[in-house]
Amino acid sequence: MLSILTLKNISKSYGRIKALKDVSFDVPDASVFGILGPNGSGKTTLLGIVMDVLVASGGTYEWFGNPPTEKQRREIGTLLETPNFYHYLSAQHNLEITAAIKHKPAGDIERVLKLVRLYERKDSKFQTYSLGMKQRLAIAACLLGDPSVLVLDEPTNGLDPSGIAEIRQLIIDLAAAGKTIILASHLLAEVEKVCTHVAILQQGVLIKSGDVLSALSQEEWLELGSKEMEKLKEVLVRLPGVKKIIGSGNHFQIYFNHSMPDASWMNRHCFEQGIVLNFLQVMKKSLESAFIELTNNVSN
Amino acid sequence: MGDFLNTLRIEWLKLKYYRTFWILLAVIAVCIPAFNYVIYDITDNSFPKINGQNILGNPFSFPNVWSTVPYNAGILIFMPAILIITLFTNEYSFRTHRQNVIDGWGRWRFIQIKIIEIFLLNLFVTGIVVATCLYFGFITRTSLQPKAGWEQYRFILFFFVEMLDYSLIAVLFAMLIKRAGLAMGIFFLYLIIEQFVVSLGRNKYKVGWVDYLPEEVSDRLIPQPFARRILAPGNNALWEKHIPLYLSIAVLYIVIYILFINWRFRKSDL
Repeated sequence: MLSILTLKNISKSYGRIKALKDVSFDVPDASVFGILGPNGSGKTTLLGIVMDVLVASGGTYEWFGNPPTEKQRREIGTLLETPNFYHYLSAQHNLEITAAIKHKPAGDIERVLKLVRLYERKDSKFQTYSLGMKQRLAIAACLLGDPSVLVLDEPTNGLDPSGIAEIRQLIIDLAAAGKTIILASHLLAEVEKVCTHVAILQQGVLIKSGDVLSALSQEEWLELGSKEMEKLKEVLVRLPGVKKIIGSGNHFQIYFNHSMPDASWMNRHCFEQGIVLNFLQVMKKSLESAFIELTNNVSN
Repeated sequence: MGDFLNTLRIEWLKLKYYRTFWILLAVIAVCIPAFNYVIYDITDNSFPKINGQNILGNPFSFPNVWSTVPYNAGILIFMPAILIITLFTNEYSFRTHRQNVIDGWGRWRFIQIKIIEIFLLNLFVTGIVVATCLYFGFITRTSLQPKAGWEQYRFILFFFVEMLDYSLIAVLFAMLIKRAGLAMGIFFLYLIIEQFVVSLGRNKYKVGWVDYLPEEVSDRLIPQPFARRILAPGNNALWEKHIPLYLSIAVLYIVIYILFINWRFRKSDL
């Protein structure tokens, strides 16, 4: 599979502090690639290096299989850290500058402003915008010229809940259109909903990378309940491949060693054993717990 | 060429709607002739006349006006420097220097267009100086005055070099300090400290190297034009002898500044 971005042993030091230590991974084409990590883990530093605003202390990177050039950056829509615009200019004039630098037609400005619901305020100066509007303008700038790759660093910063939902939907739509999206975030719920691949950073070290399922094993279990809990337990312990059963009030949590049986099979099986379930749910460990577990393991 | 014109157009887009830029530019365009008029008025009315001739000579008549106006304008050279510091530090405070690179400019392109912008601003201010020279030259014109030649016109070139030197020092401070107010403060402090070192070196310790410090060497390109024959009769020939050296060193400083600015911007984190 074609790699959009390839990192090879990227390091960055600020004096004695090592912000990144030999980070290497590939971002596959048409993926939504989440770069995860707590604040200060090196996510923005990493993106700053690949967008040429920070100088790496070591290592190399390639965009589209080639050494980086300014021409390549014109084909990438990037929102890095904060929305950076000329405060004294309107949204329209700011985007005219962005379009000219990117060699994209100024005619596209209307489309992107409408997409982020700023068209009515296109003639207002940037300095009069709220934080959320500034963020939406930065996203509009990213979308100019319909780039095939987007780099978004905390894109929902400063947005209200409906704004967050809109941007999430926008990312899903862009991914469905075949765009490659590199998304840095510390909001795991945000990443969980949209990412196909992840790289996890902690204190500048790459802990894991790959597709979401393999990088973050999100363990599943079943929760069941019945009026006859004792009888239910007897049935459950006889099931093959059971790892553990945890009782909690009116429910049992049942974990399996390998593959977990289908919920409908479980319902039928219990019924055939003379037990009527009044509660049955497939549970899945959240990305957040999987992430915390993973990062804690590395810390320890 | 198309790429270069596009870059120039982008820089124009940044300035076109920037009110502070136009106000400062207008202030410069008004202050240079106005300040010269004040000096003209003082020289014309405050000094004794012998046989109808001012003892200072005719500093605002052709051909002397070609050195008088650039000299006076040199006193106001801090004004374009303020504008340059404002334009440069804006990019840092808005973080648009980063965004321009992220969006697809090379680092060298960002610096290149800023230097060209400074060059054009200097040309504009030099144009104001030329227009002021012409104005005073024509209002004081008499039928007896000698014609001007390269000897006089070269002061326009010297003014341009002097201003470029100051402008690039301003860029250097803007780039290293990044904040407008602080950069302006340090810029003025530097100018004063250098003058202090020059005075001390020249008058107290009698050392010659102070004449070649960045600010001083470009100032020396345009000597004080009033009553030069009376106040410093022997200095003219000495100045003529040294002028190629002063000019070479001033240009060398310009080259060093440009190379350093470029190196610094290309090698540092933005």
